[in-house]
Amino acid sequence: MISDIARRSFGVPSRLIPVEELSGSSAGSRMPEIRPERLTVEIAERVAAVCPTTALKLESHGDRLNLMLDYGECIGCGRCIAVGEGAVMAANRLQCCGGSREQLICSWDVRTGTEQVRAGSPERIRAEIFSWVGRALNIRQLDSGSCNGCEAEIVALTNPYYDLERFGIHFVASPKHADMLLVTGPVTRNMAEAVKKTYEATPHPKLVVAVGACGCGGGIFAASPEVVGGVSSVLPVDGYIPGCPPTPAMLVSGILEVMRRLTGTRRR
Amino acid sequence: MTAGITTSELLRLFDTSLTDAPRLVSLFGRKQDDHKYLHYILDLPDVGYREFAYLVEGVVPSATRVSPAAAWHERELHEEFGVEFTDHPGLLPLRRHSPERRETPQPNEVRSPRLRHGEFLQVQGTGVCEVPVGPVHAGIIEPGHFRFSVIGDSVLHLQLRLFYTHKGTEKLFEGSLANEALPIAESVSGDNCFAHAIAYCMALEKVFGVHVPQRTDAVRLIGLELERLWSHVVDFGALCGDVGFSVPAAYCARIKEDLLQASTRFSGTRYWRAIAVPGGVTFDPTPSAVQDLSRAVGDAAADFAVLARMALETPSVQDRFETAGILSPKVAKDFAVVGPAARASGIKKDVRIDHPYGGYGNFQLDVPCYECGDVMARARVRVDEAMSSARLIVEQLASFPAGEVRPPVSMSGSGEGFAAVEAPRGELLYWLKVNEGRIARCHVRSPSFQNWQALPFAVAGNIIADFPLINKSFNLSYSGCDR
Ligand code: SF4
Ligand code: SF4
Repeated sequence: MISDIARRSFGVPSRLIPVEELSGSSAGSRMPEIRPERLTVEIAERVAAVCPTTALKLESHGDRLNLMLDYGECIGCGRCIAVGEGAVMAANRLQCCGGSREQLICSWDVRTGTEQVRAGSPERIRAEIFSWVGRALNIRQLDSGSCNGCEAEIVALTNPYYDLERFGIHFVASPKHADMLLVTGPVTRNMAEAVKKTYEATPHPKLVVAVGACGCGGGIFAASPEVVGGVSSVLPVDGYIPGCPPTPAMLVSGILEVMRRLTGTRRR
Repeated sequence: MTAGITTSELLRLFDTSLTDAPRLVSLFGRKQDDHKYLHYILDLPDVGYREFAYLVEGVVPSATRVSPAAAWHERELHEEFGVEFTDHPGLLPLRRHSPERRETPQPNEVRSPRLRHGEFLQVQGTGVCEVPVGPVHAGIIEPGHFRFSVIGDSVLHLQLRLFYTHKGTEKLFEGSLANEALPIAESVSGDNCFAHAIAYCMALEKVFGVHVPQRTDAVRLIGLELERLWSHVVDFGALCGDVGFSVPAAYCARIKEDLLQASTRFSGTRYWRAIAVPGGVTFDPTPSAVQDLSRAVGDAAADFAVLARMALETPSVQDRFETAGILSPKVAKDFAVVGPAARASGIKKDVRIDHPYGGYGNFQLDVPCYECGDVMARARVRVDEAMSSARLIVEQLASFPAGEVRPPVSMSGSGEGFAAVEAPRGELLYWLKVNEGRIARCHVRSPSFQNWQALPFAVAGNIIADFPLINKSFNLSYSGCDR
């Protein structure tokens, strides 16, 4: 029987998605993207009004009007896209995964429009990755109270499409074996202590990555008295991956970006 | 709405020792102008769902002795609403793990004849030892604590301590505008987010008497069945993985990913978040998208059928699956277990058949049922259901009704209502009370809340090394239970 199953896989082309395609992709995540050239004051006001979180908001500085988009708070509900008249579109690429909390926040002058792009050139990516991680990074996933949507996407990282192991990145069973804690969910009051203990059990040097709108800042649960807040309310966080849930491609990009920014300059 | 019978008469009614006793679906509380109300929802044979509501005056007779499924519901009621029950075996808090953890007021008195708040039952005797596991587990899974008392390899007793992911979700609904609260419903249990969204929408539609167009029902049915299909496929793979058979596990993960990608092409989202809205859905599939999905589901089902047959015919898999983690029909009935776990223990119940909703009335549905109640039975139920879901999706795609998918609906006004759907893990119920378009109370009875109580009974007597397998065969959601 085992050989029957093995035989089925012969001749089947590999499903592995090349890293060039994964890196920076956010297709299917429902994260919005602003087309500043189409932005008007009217549209900006409308999208800020429909946003159920405070991910989209307007700020006026003197006679300038800025539209701020905080990807860390966005739950991908798509309402801004529905009323954005083409000025807000579903983002197929997102460069901020794995960045600092500030890097998740973008801002546009509603009247003139400016967009921040920080794309790396794809050809270099594969070579660089091996040099950053030295072919070995051990991740311990830690659920601090998530809805399990983020877990479902993290589990997908081990499937034959994403196969994180190809970069030498492994999920390990104990924090004692880990270099990185990948933390999902808002930290609930019931989990806060276990989260701290898990962090303490992880040897130095260690990295903490907050995953999802909930991990970035508590998400839709931020207001609940049963929740302490985002991951940064109990642990020092090195990188953030937005989304609700982030797609596997966003997770891969985010983990690699944290490595790029922080290996060699590991702190603590 | 308030029944013409007293609580004690009601309790006599659903004594599980009677044949044909009504099934306890849910039991929850609600506060209004300093009054507390208790709501019992029962599933009466040949009648259907019935709700009984009572004003709480003094001490309430406990339902736990006649229907053990009420145990956790009553503990929650005592903890959150301070309702006192007579004759409950142990009204310990579920959500607060230790007495000193909270500054919010404690319920009047925390009582149990055997245990104090935060304690575990100690099994005594020569050679008995305790194995604590969790809340942080070894895999990519949710947190919960298991306290095993073992003798040698055999588990004598398992005590659960869950609610680590308790996020006060039901309270978060309160005060929000009815359609603004959808993202909260979608985040009760993220892997079954579409079932939650639909149950929430259906409850709202009941409250406001909203009519749902046929095309919307068709899109919803496809979403619900896709969710069931990939959940069962990946659960089956995980079961194989838990017995060290990683080839089918990898295949199942691949099939699930194929389906998620097909679903992205169809609906624009992987998990169908932000698709359901009260009275409609947010996208209208094109004919080519319909064809593409039909092909993808057909391929996935064909692959899975071969794979599942091969895996289940493998002697070493049979060896591990058979007779492991038996949930007896008696325990399943006592705890009013739902979903695949119930159907593996001889309880042939499925909301889609027993209380048809949406587009399900239009289709012939085969509901599998096995008697053994072991891991193998739960695995077989999943395989059969995955195949029947795939068939249903393909049939629905072939007969896609025309019309609109999102008619305008008005949701001002007040009222209450509930709705249930068959989520991948079983019956999922939302009960809503709306005041002037805002949610005044939302109660979520997830299938996991119901089934977790029965798990320790399936584990006792097995070797501790089989626990991950048995637990996986139930595949309960922690977040869905803890809310
Ligand atoms: S998609 Fe994100 S930014 Fe847009 S309305 Fe929803 S939460 Fe706000
Ligand atoms: S970010 Fe979204 S998917 Fe992730 S835990 Fe929070 S609600 Fe769930």
